[in-house]
Amino acid sequence: MNELQFLTWVRGTGLNIAVGLFLLGVLWRLIEIYSLGRKKDLSAPRHVAGASGWNTVFRRSIPPEGMVKRSPVSYLGGYAFHIGLAIVVFLFAPHIKLIQSLTGLSWPALPSQFIDLVAVVTLAAMVVVLADRINKPVKRFLSTFEDWFTWTVTFLPVLTGWLAVRHLLFPYTTMLALHILSVEILLVVLPFTKLFHAFTVFGSRWFNGAVNGHKGVAV
Amino acid sequence: MQGPLIDTLALHGVSRRTFLKYCSTLASLMALPPAAGVAMAEAMAAAPAAAKRPSVIWLPFQECTGCTESITRSHSPSIEGMIFDMVSLDYQETLMAAAGHQAEEVLRKTVEANKGQFLLIIDGSVATGLDGAYSCIAGRSNLALLKEIAPHAAAIVAMGSCAAYGGLPKAKPNPTGAVSVSDIVKDKPIVNIPGCPPIPVVMTGVLAHFLTFGSLPDLDKLGRPKAFYGETIHDRCYRRPFYDQGKFAKTFDDEGARNGWCLFELGCKGPVTYNACATVKWNGGTSWPVESGHGCLGCSEPNFWDAGGFYKALSMPANPLRMAAGAAVAGAAAGVAVSFANRAKKKDAKAAHETTTLADLEKSEER
Amino acid sequence: MNLGGIPILAADPDAGLSGNALPLLREIAERLKRLLATGEAGALDLHSLPLTPADRAWLKARLGEGEIRVILDSDGESTLDETACPGVWWVTHRNLHGAVSVELIEVAFVPELVKAHPEDVQNGLAHLELLMGDLR
Repeated sequence: MNELQFLTWVRGTGLNIAVGLFLLGVLWRLIEIYSLGRKKDLSAPRHVAGASGWNTVFRRSIPPEGMVKRSPVSYLGGYAFHIGLAIVVFLFAPHIKLIQSLTGLSWPALPSQFIDLVAVVTLAAMVVVLADRINKPVKRFLSTFEDWFTWTVTFLPVLTGWLAVRHLLFPYTTMLALHILSVEILLVVLPFTKLFHAFTVFGSRWFNGAVNGHKGVAV
Repeated sequence: MQGPLIDTLALHGVSRRTFLKYCSTLASLMALPPAAGVAMAEAMAAAPAAAKRPSVIWLPFQECTGCTESITRSHSPSIEGMIFDMVSLDYQETLMAAAGHQAEEVLRKTVEANKGQFLLIIDGSVATGLDGAYSCIAGRSNLALLKEIAPHAAAIVAMGSCAAYGGLPKAKPNPTGAVSVSDIVKDKPIVNIPGCPPIPVVMTGVLAHFLTFGSLPDLDKLGRPKAFYGETIHDRCYRRPFYDQGKFAKTFDDEGARNGWCLFELGCKGPVTYNACATVKWNGGTSWPVESGHGCLGCSEPNFWDAGGFYKALSMPANPLRMAAGAAVAGAAAGVAVSFANRAKKKDAKAAHETTTLADLEKSEER
Repeated sequence: MNLGGIPILAADPDAGLSGNALPLLREIAERLKRLLATGEAGALDLHSLPLTPADRAWLKARLGEGEIRVILDSDGESTLDETACPGVWWVTHRNLHGAVSVELIEVAFVPELVKAHPEDVQNGLAHLELLMGDLR
């Protein structure tokens, strides 16, 4: 297989399969999770200020008091790479073009130089977070294969994308093909691993907040 | 005739300056630095001239004669010059005067007289479907002809993308079962000269190399001469600076197109296509596709016909995502099915539920 | 639509310039320095460089025209023209059909192709002596 055939496969058959599995997995799991439902709480609701689903969705997006000091790497590194990922994925001009070509939707992009900077920060944050996971005995003890694996499949698309834009390591088109391939692996893996939190995080927060809010506890 | 090549050339009325000029042209089209042309001239001038004009057999298989059309438009060295001065082109259906039984007799005799010596040029793919019946010459299939003649050749030149990689006949759904020459012949040196058609001077350049050095040029992993296919169109493209500056033509008639900006977004395959068009150009150096305002089709790469459309940028999806809708429906169905199964499980658990009273617990504690 | 309604756009004179021609001038200057210091001649193959037609025209205009124009008539016409910078030659090889096959910038006191090769001079001398022998 030469460069052209490799690139043609990843942007043709490969993309088709990856997007297909992604949609299949996402719909399957969302329907399964939300159809589980909850037993109706028959007790009378207690009303306490700040105890509701929406409050929890918001509150858990900001660190609890003192936690940033106790565990700065987890919080700052986590913020940096999550926000960085969102910016790089959704506000880089070529990505918007791709989404436009598939769905017809488009929105304004950020300058490429800025995206480049964000990508570097994201990569650095991810490396720091990984080093922290390896160094802290408790974190390391709690880590399973899935944690190392999902870190890798999240890291590779950013790394290969940045290398492709900067024309490093391999010729641009080879790097682009590797980038697309790594994204395809991420797409396939996402619905079936903990990465699915991309879809469920706010829903589960709302549920937690609502259930506890009913009991009058602000979580 | 023995002795240095330069003397032989002088006898043919080729002056030293003409020869130097030819070497300079050759170096330029091989993308070598100008100094290499001088070195090449010295090496070639001193090399002994071939004693006998090598015999060349050209077999046309499943092809469109475009490769022959292209080589007959070769400038310096011209095809006429080659036929009369450098090689003995003994069989070429389009160019030879003989036809029918006479022609086939010539082919048989040439193979017989030059066993292990002749250069076999093939253009067109080899049809393998229905035992090769899709393409026949004089009642015999191309497949049978190739298997019969190839073992006697000194080397094989697969001329054009069809002979080199299967080309257009091999495009999906490949009704004739077309394959490349190298898919059939495994035990002979094969030079692939892909392109649809290949650049004339590349074809004659390879022949000139074989004639002057008596060997085949260095090949890359796809069997192409490195001298001509060593770099991508993109690497040598005069519009490359605009690519690096991010200046792209978005349509074929916008300002970017008029200013000669990069054609990447209009589907140019230059970045993944290895060929010499950007330096050698076409029609005797007049122009080439990108200079005429059209992106590269990638015609010298395997399976270029099925590479996702000529007008789609290399970074865009090659095909519409046909599986997406089906996969979404399947996913939703799986989700619904699993949720029904979960409900049933819940219901069963509820049905099997036994009420435990305080008294029961106390009893169990006593035990 | 009448004629006046058609908008007229003046082409930007710098539209086709890629910015790749200027570094070439520096390279030529470097080679001239080397020629003066060591006598080593050099050449740039313009076809293998990423230059737009506008770049090439710009380069030709900057280098200007010199005093000497050499025409070589061998397998098509070649021109070896000195530029306004002595020692810099604009060399164009054409084939028999008149199409440009190679375009070079040569940096040399005299381009190699112009000089006669000693062996050729030897042959010329032999020819001349033969000629004189016949005349005697």
